[in-house]
Amino acid sequence: MTYENFKNELFDISKKLGLDACEINYEGEKEFNLSLANGELDSYKDAESFKVKVVVLKNGKSGAAFTEILENPEKIINEAVENMEIVESEEIVNLHDGSGEYLNAELYKGNFEKEDVSDKLKFIKNIYDAAKSDSRIKMVPNIVYQNFVSDIRIANTYGLDKKSKSDGGFCYSMTVAEDVSPRSGFYYEVGKSPENLTLAIGEKAKEDAIAKIGSKSVKSGKYNIIINNMAFSDILSLLNSMISAENVQKEISPLKGKIDQKIGSDILTVKDIAIYPGSLTNRTFDREGFPTSDKTIIENGVLKTFLYDIKAALKENKKSTGNSTQGGIAPVNMVIEPGKLSFEELVKELGNGIIITEVEGMHSGANPVSGEFSLGAKGLLVENGEITKGVEQITLSDNFIVMLSKIKAIGNDTLLSYSNIITPSVIIENVDIAGNE
Amino acid sequence: MLSKSLIEKILMAVLRNGGDFAEVFVEKRYDNRISMKQNLVEKAISGNEFGVGIRGFLGDKAVYAYSNDVSETNLISVAERVGKTLGEIKIKDTVLNFNKVEYKENNRVFLYPNDIDKKEKILIMKKASESAKNYSQLIKQVIVNYWEYDQSVLIANTEGVWAEDRRVRTRLMIQSVAEQNGIMETGFYGPGAGMGFEFFNSLDPHEAGKRASRIADRMVKADPAPAGKMPVIISNEFGGVIFHEAVGHSLEATSVSKGASVFCDKLGQKIASDCVSAVDDGTIANAWGSSNVDDEGTPTKRNILVENGILKGYMVDKLGARKMKTEVTGSSRRMNYKYAPTSRMTNTFILPGKSYPEEIISNTEYGIFAKSMGGGSVQPATGEFNFAINEGYLIENGKITKPVRGATLIGRGNEIITKIDMVGNDIGRGQGMCGSVSGSIPADVGQPTIRVSEILVGGKNK
Repeated sequence: MTYENFKNELFDISKKLGLDACEINYEGEKEFNLSLANGELDSYKDAESFKVKVVVLKNGKSGAAFTEILENPEKIINEAVENMEIVESEEIVNLHDGSGEYLNAELYKGNFEKEDVSDKLKFIKNIYDAAKSDSRIKMVPNIVYQNFVSDIRIANTYGLDKKSKSDGGFCYSMTVAEDVSPRSGFYYEVGKSPENLTLAIGEKAKEDAIAKIGSKSVKSGKYNIIINNMAFSDILSLLNSMISAENVQKEISPLKGKIDQKIGSDILTVKDIAIYPGSLTNRTFDREGFPTSDKTIIENGVLKTFLYDIKAALKENKKSTGNSTQGGIAPVNMVIEPGKLSFEELVKELGNGIIITEVEGMHSGANPVSGEFSLGAKGLLVENGEITKGVEQITLSDNFIVMLSKIKAIGNDTLLSYSNIITPSVIIENVDIAGNE
Repeated sequence: MLSKSLIEKILMAVLRNGGDFAEVFVEKRYDNRISMKQNLVEKAISGNEFGVGIRGFLGDKAVYAYSNDVSETNLISVAERVGKTLGEIKIKDTVLNFNKVEYKENNRVFLYPNDIDKKEKILIMKKASESAKNYSQLIKQVIVNYWEYDQSVLIANTEGVWAEDRRVRTRLMIQSVAEQNGIMETGFYGPGAGMGFEFFNSLDPHEAGKRASRIADRMVKADPAPAGKMPVIISNEFGGVIFHEAVGHSLEATSVSKGASVFCDKLGQKIASDCVSAVDDGTIANAWGSSNVDDEGTPTKRNILVENGILKGYMVDKLGARKMKTEVTGSSRRMNYKYAPTSRMTNTFILPGKSYPEEIISNTEYGIFAKSMGGGSVQPATGEFNFAINEGYLIENGKITKPVRGATLIGRGNEIITKIDMVGNDIGRGQGMCGSVSGSIPADVGQPTIRVSEILVGGKNK
C-alpha cells in the first residue's frame, strides 16, 4: 500500500470509529557510512528504512502505535486506541491543526548523495594520511564518514499536512599516539555538503593525541578551567532536559520556579535558533507539526522561558513553542552566544589552570535532576598563559547550575556539533578537580 | 519471515556480484512501552518492526545494507549492490545446502507479551509505584516504565547456516526522586530478564519500588563524596559494571582486531590479580543478555575470559575471526536489522571468591562502599574508563559510617584489574543496556562484592 493510500484509509477508519482525530507521522531515513580501520576499508553501509507512527485522540487523551509495514491500517489504529484507553492521567493532549507561521528554509541540498563513493573514499584516505603524518602517531584505528537523508511527513484530520526532507553528514577521526600509556586523539566536523568536511579532521585528531604525550594527573583541588567547545557541548546537554516544561511540571528539573531569576553569569546568553547555518538539526516544524521559532532561553544570566510541546503548553494555558522532539522537549539548536576572545586569548586570560578537552560519562556521572555531575576528564595544563603539558586521569565535579554562574569568559570559537548544541569555549572559575598526584 | 527460495536468491545475488561470503538477517519485533507518573498511566506506545539486513565479506572487508522494503525486486537489488561494492568475484557458482542450526531451547517463555492484557502489566507498575512513593516522606516523584519485546530472527549464510531464534525480554524500571531542603536526588532500579510476564513470579514489584526509593532517600541526605585515591568496595550485582567497562569492552574483537585495545596480544598472560576469574556466558537460562544463537546464527557459549588472573579469551564475531585468524565465540550481537552485528558482551561477570562481604568491609580502614552503581564508559584503545556510584557510603575503621553522593570512579582497565585484592562469595547479576557500534543491546553484568585497593574517586574537595 502506498503512503497516501494508507493515510487516507487511516483517516476514514478514524472517522468511522468516532475518534476526535487521527495523525500519521512518517519518518524515512537513508544512511550511508564508510569507515577505515588503520587505513584499510573496514565497513561500508548503505541503507534505507521508514517507520510510521499513528496517533489517535479522543476526549483529550491520546494513544500511539507504530509499524514498518504499510498494510492493515485498521490493526494499527486499533492498537493505538487500545493504548489510548489505558491512559489514566487526566492531563489533556491535543493535535496541531497546521496554523501558524512556518519558516521557509530548504533543508535538503542533495550534495552528499551526488558525491561519488570513490571520492568519499579518496577523501577519508587523505584524512588518514593527514592523521598519520607524524611518527609519534602509532595508529589511526578508526575514521568514519557518514551522511543521511531524512524524509519527514506529518498529517492529521485537523488539517495539518507538512513534509520536510533534510540531509547532512559528518566525519570523525580517532588517533593513538605512543607513550608510556597510549594517548588517544579525536576530532570531527559536520556539514550540509561534502565540501564542509575538511582535512582538519585528520590534522586536529593528530595534534590532539600528540598534545597528550607525557600527560600527568594533577593534585586534587579547586581550579580555574577552560572547557573547550567540544567538551562544553557535551556538558550543556544537561540543560536540554532542565528547560523542558514537561520536566519542570514533573518536578524533575532544578530550574523549576526560576523564571526571571538569575541562574547564570551576566555574560551568558542562550538561544534556541530554528535554522542555524550548517546545523544538522535545523527544523521548520517540530515532531507535532508545530512551527519552530527562535527564542531566548537565558538572557544575560536570567532564565527567560522553558520550552513546550502541546501537552505541556495546555497545562499552563500557553502555546507550544515548537520544541517537541522524539525523546521529549528540546531546543532545535541550543546556541550559546559567543564572546569576543579567541581560544588563544582565553588561554592567556586563564593564566594558570586546566583546559578540559574531553569529558566522559555524561550518561552516568551527570544527574539532570539534581544538576550534580562528576565526570572523567582529560585536557591540557596552562601555566602563565601557555599550554605546557597534557592532563590525564582527573575528574571534574560541580553542580551544573552553580557552574553556570561561574562562567567568567566566553570565546568566539563556536563549533558546530553532531548534536543540537552549538557553543564556543568558556572559562569557569573554581571547579573541583580530583587527581592522582 | 522470508521463503527459503528468496533467501537463496538474495545470497546468490551477493556472490554473483562479488565477495566470498553473504549473510541475510531477517527480523520481526513487537515492542511495547507503558509509562506511569505519580501512579497514573501517562503514555503507551506499541508496534511492530520488520526489516532485512544483508551483509557480504571479501576477505576482511565488509559491506552491509538493510531495508524494510521486503519486496523480492528490492531485496535482490540491495543484494546485488552489496556484491558490487565488494567488487572482486571469488566464488563463481555454488550450491547452497542449508543446515538448520539445532539447539536445546534454553530460554523457554511461558507468557508472551501478547498473551497478557496490558491492564495486568499496569497492576505490576502500580505495585512498584505505590511502594516507591510510600517509602519515605522525602519521595516527591515516582516514574515507572514497563518495557517488553518479542523478537524473532532468521539468519542464513552462504556457509549453510540456517538459524532461527525468538527472544522475549521484559523489564520494569523505577525512578524515584527525593527532595530535602531544595536538594533533589534520584534513585533508579531496573530489573529485567529474558522472560515473558512470568518474570513477575520471581520479581516482587513492591521490593523493586522500595529499592529505587531507598537510593533516592539516602542520597538526598548524603554529603558529597570525598575526592582522591582510596580503596573502594563495590557491591555485587550491577557492581559488575566495573568489569564490563574496565575490561570487557577491551576484550571484544571490535577493538582487539584493530590493535586498538590495551589487551591486544596478551592471551595466556597475567593481566589481573590471582583472585580474578571472569566469564561471558550467553547460555544462562532466561537471563537478560541470553539467546540460543547469536546474531550470526552461532550457538551461544560460556566463554572464559580471565582465569586466576590469566587472559584466556576474547569475544569474537565472524569478521573479527577473519581478521584475528581465530574462531567465533557466539558473541556477535546487534540492536536490530539496522546494524551489522559485531562482537559484544552477553552476561558478563566476575566469578565468586572466598571472602564474606562483611569481612571485606571490616578489613578496610578508610574508603568508599559503592552499594549501587550507575553506568559507565571506556576507550578500549587507552583503557581509560569511568563509572558512577549511584549509592555510596563512607567506610571508616572497618565500618560503614554515612552515605556519600556524587562520586565517579576513573582509571585504566589494565591497571585497575590488577588492584582487585578481595573477592566475595555473594555473586549476583544486574541488568543494563550496553551501547556500542552495533547499537544498544540488553546486557547482564555481575560479580560478588569486590575490593579495589586503590582507585581515583572523583568527589568534592573539602
